[in-house]
Amino acid sequence: MTERPGPERLFGDLLNDCVHCGFCLPTCPTDVLWGQEMDSPRGRIHLMSQMHEEDVLTETAVDHFDNCLGCLACVSSCPSGVAYDALLEHTRHRVETEHERPRGERVLRAAVFSLFPYRARLRALRGPLRAYRSGGVSSLVRRSGLLDRLSPTLATMERIAPPLSSPPPPLPELVPAVGARRARVGMLVGCVQGAFFPEVNTATARVLAMEGCDVVIPRAQGCCGALSGHAGRLREAVEFAKRFVEVFEAGQVERIVVNSAGCGSSMKHFDRTMAEAGESDAWVERAQKVSAKVVDLTEFLVELGPRAERHPLPLRVAYHDACHLSHGQGVTSQPRELLTQIPGLEVSDLPNKEICCGSAGVYNLFKPEAAAELGDRKGQDVAATGVGVLVSGNPGCSLQIASAMERAGTPVTVTHTARLLDASLRGLSVEQALGKV
Amino acid sequence: MATSAHQTNIPAALTALVPRLREICGEDGVLTDLSRRRVYESDGLTYHRATPGVVALPTTTAQVAAVVSLCAEHGVPYVPRGAGTGLSAGALPHADGVLLVTSRMRRVVEIDPENECAVVEPGVTNLDITRAAAPHGYYYAPDPSSQQVCSVGGNVAENSGGAHCLKYGFTSGHVRGLEIVTPSGEVVELGGKATGAHGYDLIGAFIGSEGTLGVATRVTVSLTRSPQKTVTLLSAFTSMDAGGEAVGAIIAAGVLPSAIEMMDALAIEAAEAAVACGYPAGAAAVLVVELDGPTSEVDAQVERVTELCAASGSFETRTASGAVERALIWKGRKSAFAAVGRISPAYIVQDGVVPRTALGEVLGRIAALSAESGIRVANVFHAGDGNLHPLVLFDDAEPGAGERAEEVSGAILDLCVEHGGSITGEHGVGVDKACKMPRMYSDDDLTTFDLFRRAFDPAGIANPDKLLPTPRLCGERPGVRTGVHPLVESGQAEQF
Amino acid sequence: MKDLDVEGVTLWKGTEADAVCGVVPDRVARPKDTEALGRLLAAARATGATVTPRGGGTALDWGSPPRSLDLMVDTSALSWIDHNAGDLVVEVGAGTPLAELRRTLADAGQRLSYDPLRVGGTVGGALATGVSGPRRLLAGGLRDLVIGMTLVRADGVVARSGGRVVKNVAGYDLAKLHTGGYGTLGVIASAAFRLHPLPPAVRVVSVPLRSREDTERALADLRATTVVPAAVELDRDRLCVVLEGTAEGLVPRVEETLRALGEDGAEVAEELPEDWGLLPTEGTLARVLAPPAELPGLACDLDADVRGYGSVPAGTLYLAFAPGTPADVVEKRLAAVRHVPDRTAVLLRAEPHVREAGVDPWGEVPGLSLMRAVKDSFDPDHRLSPGRFAGGI
Repeated sequence: MTERPGPERLFGDLLNDCVHCGFCLPTCPTDVLWGQEMDSPRGRIHLMSQMHEEDVLTETAVDHFDNCLGCLACVSSCPSGVAYDALLEHTRHRVETEHERPRGERVLRAAVFSLFPYRARLRALRGPLRAYRSGGVSSLVRRSGLLDRLSPTLATMERIAPPLSSPPPPLPELVPAVGARRARVGMLVGCVQGAFFPEVNTATARVLAMEGCDVVIPRAQGCCGALSGHAGRLREAVEFAKRFVEVFEAGQVERIVVNSAGCGSSMKHFDRTMAEAGESDAWVERAQKVSAKVVDLTEFLVELGPRAERHPLPLRVAYHDACHLSHGQGVTSQPRELLTQIPGLEVSDLPNKEICCGSAGVYNLFKPEAAAELGDRKGQDVAATGVGVLVSGNPGCSLQIASAMERAGTPVTVTHTARLLDASLRGLSVEQALGKV
Repeated sequence: MATSAHQTNIPAALTALVPRLREICGEDGVLTDLSRRRVYESDGLTYHRATPGVVALPTTTAQVAAVVSLCAEHGVPYVPRGAGTGLSAGALPHADGVLLVTSRMRRVVEIDPENECAVVEPGVTNLDITRAAAPHGYYYAPDPSSQQVCSVGGNVAENSGGAHCLKYGFTSGHVRGLEIVTPSGEVVELGGKATGAHGYDLIGAFIGSEGTLGVATRVTVSLTRSPQKTVTLLSAFTSMDAGGEAVGAIIAAGVLPSAIEMMDALAIEAAEAAVACGYPAGAAAVLVVELDGPTSEVDAQVERVTELCAASGSFETRTASGAVERALIWKGRKSAFAAVGRISPAYIVQDGVVPRTALGEVLGRIAALSAESGIRVANVFHAGDGNLHPLVLFDDAEPGAGERAEEVSGAILDLCVEHGGSITGEHGVGVDKACKMPRMYSDDDLTTFDLFRRAFDPAGIANPDKLLPTPRLCGERPGVRTGVHPLVESGQAEQF
Repeated sequence: MKDLDVEGVTLWKGTEADAVCGVVPDRVARPKDTEALGRLLAAARATGATVTPRGGGTALDWGSPPRSLDLMVDTSALSWIDHNAGDLVVEVGAGTPLAELRRTLADAGQRLSYDPLRVGGTVGGALATGVSGPRRLLAGGLRDLVIGMTLVRADGVVARSGGRVVKNVAGYDLAKLHTGGYGTLGVIASAAFRLHPLPPAVRVVSVPLRSREDTERALADLRATTVVPAAVELDRDRLCVVLEGTAEGLVPRVEETLRALGEDGAEVAEELPEDWGLLPTEGTLARVLAPPAELPGLACDLDADVRGYGSVPAGTLYLAFAPGTPADVVEKRLAAVRHVPDRTAVLLRAEPHVREAGVDPWGEVPGLSLMRAVKDSFDPDHRLSPGRFAGGI
């Protein structure tokens, strides 16, 4: 490897920001699990320095990079402002391009990335999954060791998602504002959210409209590329991002509202992704303009201020900070503020709230043991609150925690901030709000 | 291209030990791979680095004892390490030794509110004790600024203090019992749930011994009742002198705040740049004063301190009693060290102590040193107990700048000793200041320390070359570092 | 013994009055300063003389008798006070009477937050015997207040540990090691302490000590308050809480304390009793350490022939046996304490008949092997107060 372009020099500079203070250790989920330096952010940064300075990518280092959930808790806890997110994305890209994985891993990864970023493919799987659940497992599913790995996760999604028989009507491309218009916003549908939790999208659109927004929901929008980007599949991520940029440029919106933390956190730096991939300045600039509009639903609603009337929803809930919302976007107070604005709703925090639940995008598919252990820990923390309803801003977290708690025999109802807001704005009962009617 | 894991490079003396270490700590409890070992090459002070010969990650006291016994049997040195946040290279690994890491021993064994104490393993973080005790209305008083990450074992090794040690004292005042593994591998229990123990105060002598007397494997700490009220004041001054005068006035008035912290203009500038803490504009010095205790006492003290600050020339004093507002005041102070990184490419954090009454003069001399050398020095310190943390700023890209910064930093320590102070108030001696010990202690003092050390560790295998100057470390004349560091010369360490 | 006649030292023949647990020293020497003390101990080493130091002589009947005592070192001439009020620090010679130190500091509105246990003692004696009084709760024990020490080793070498600043982690904290060392590791020449401002006012809230359950409940209620007591003492038949602060600030604190302890039979005094913190000067005296919550049980469960005093939060209980209490009664009582895990008991003072009956004054001392190693390192010839300490050290 001879010459390295701009981003590589940047990488070295970014590495130097780390002063080795270790403040990141206690919030790192793998440090919590294993207590060894190379599975902490500080240790991984050291491994990245070894990789960078000596231009060697060892098997060992790849292992430890793979172990990282990319939850970015370390970014929140770092007093020196180390951009671990950028460091990790670069490193993962390097791993993807330079490191040859064993065949089994390659097949699994290929399968995951040909499925998850595609809403239609995910939706099509729901039927067979129901069969899997009910015992009528198809021979196809049986034959494939791969699906053995995927099935539990997908089956959990299917179990938690509302039944297929009553999917909400598909969203129109424009949902007009109720009352005087305050803004024109775009909305991300998302892959997992769109396929498994369409009612969260419906609720999001309705809340935005009721708060006076024209909501533009382009059908042509695909995946935002977050899953690919977080996994170092830079090329794939860039292609997704480009299409996304084009579609939303055409939508002429003031903001792009996202209700899925993982997507939002990635969409906020399309420009960095483009630059890292060596795209033209023009693309970087276009991406930058779109990224600047990206905002989490809760962030946007707080900024907008409440206008629609909130009806009471007498309910005690615990709020789970999705990593890519709290650590990835620094959004922690807004969802709590919105929830406490609902009369009668009591919100409590989870112990160890800064620790990842283990979902982390597709981490639970690649590192099921670690993910399950983290899920169990999170489940114990939720159980400790004694609250039966858990609110989160990310579909992956909801799935992960719900399935962990089911395993532990302490089932919990999971819901999205948007759904509770929607219920409050529409004056629904608690049962209706939780989809139990 | 990926290369296979480095299994080589383990010092010959250790290769025989590895299988036995694996028997003791399990397969995943022993690290031999080079890139993994290198990750442990330094603690929080990255200036000193050495790749450990082998890393052991025990999970129980029995494992620690077995590892240390094995080392004793083979005459192999070992270095204990907690969270690796120390700032004196006290956990600098030994290239031919075992690095014994306690990070997997982090169970809070017991919170005992009836006896107002907690029993924890050494890898538990300082803040986790408080987290576990909080539901019972208690907290663990020593609060080093790294409290969210530093381990109790490390606190015991370093006798850690913190901003609030002005009122509440150091680790040594809060430890009731210790289970230790001696350098011969023997497990000894000292003290218990009562305060103090019969016989020599081995707990007192062990705390702050920087891992040279053994490894603490279980710690019983006192818990302190959370105060009824805590108020934080932020007072701004137009000069450091005026701020210093206020500190003197507060102490003279018989008020004992839990903390009195001070920052100078440069430190304020850095903190503003990093976290926008919103300290009063135009302040050449700010004091952060915290008062805690029964409401009836604290309210009167707040009034008194506010008056005293005003009388010393403060142009603005803010008070906060809510947790959020107090955190806002502390934010600037707590971020100061890391924040300095934003106004300077590199810096040295110094740690020295002067008698509080000498603060004014010493700060003046530091300013003069800075002016003469052209090296900027930011001051952030625990004013209440005279513990200075000058941050010596330099540009590491500039040739010779690092050396000049080192000189200034060293001269500041000389100032501390000259004024009857200490070369370290809380960071410890470690490797970093071992060669500076003779500036503070006579040869007789140092040989006396060594007598004590040898009582515990006659073979000299417990964290060797730390705390006391040795010819290997400091050259023939203790205290004078000539040329290349011997560890560097022998290829066992590198400096940067 | 001519060899002990060194410069700066006054030397005389020992008498019964100088006896340590009944052992009369051959000589008594009074060095005029630290250097003279160094010369004296170097001379003692050269002659192989065994040495025991003496401060105010108030605890010569504490501990075990020395196996041999050629030379008693009288520290009374090492009496000086160097008070730096602005730094709340004082450095004092070991022979300085505690009472004199207290007066000097009080004149500057400060104090050493240590309650003397014996009348007439010196700083050095307080350090060497190590035990702290009731108010250790707030400011810590003597070992927490000492920030530096100059001591003279068995070979006469003068060495210093710590310094004159409160915050200091350079080197081992040998001052703590020598605190409570009974002079078996070296002779303390001087020490530096951190000080505290004198509180403007003191209140002593006390209630009669009733049943064990009652006491436990009162203590639990007190723990739940935030009154910040300076001492919580089981004082004879009363439970006694000391509060320090301003007169106005103390009003609500006293009220809250009374609510916790119960107002029935309660008294509130505005100063400490005259004999505050003092231990009885005769009779066998034991010091028990136990988990604090177990103290009420221990104290309420005593026979008439022994009295319990204690600092509850520290888990310290003194057992004061009436003078003349037979050895088997003492032994039984000690055994009853020692057989419970986490409880230890040591005889601070044994009456001669108790000693002679062979009652074990120390019991099992955890870490004894390390203590022996430390002793061997500092005093390889075992000439400093041999036999005075745990395990015959």
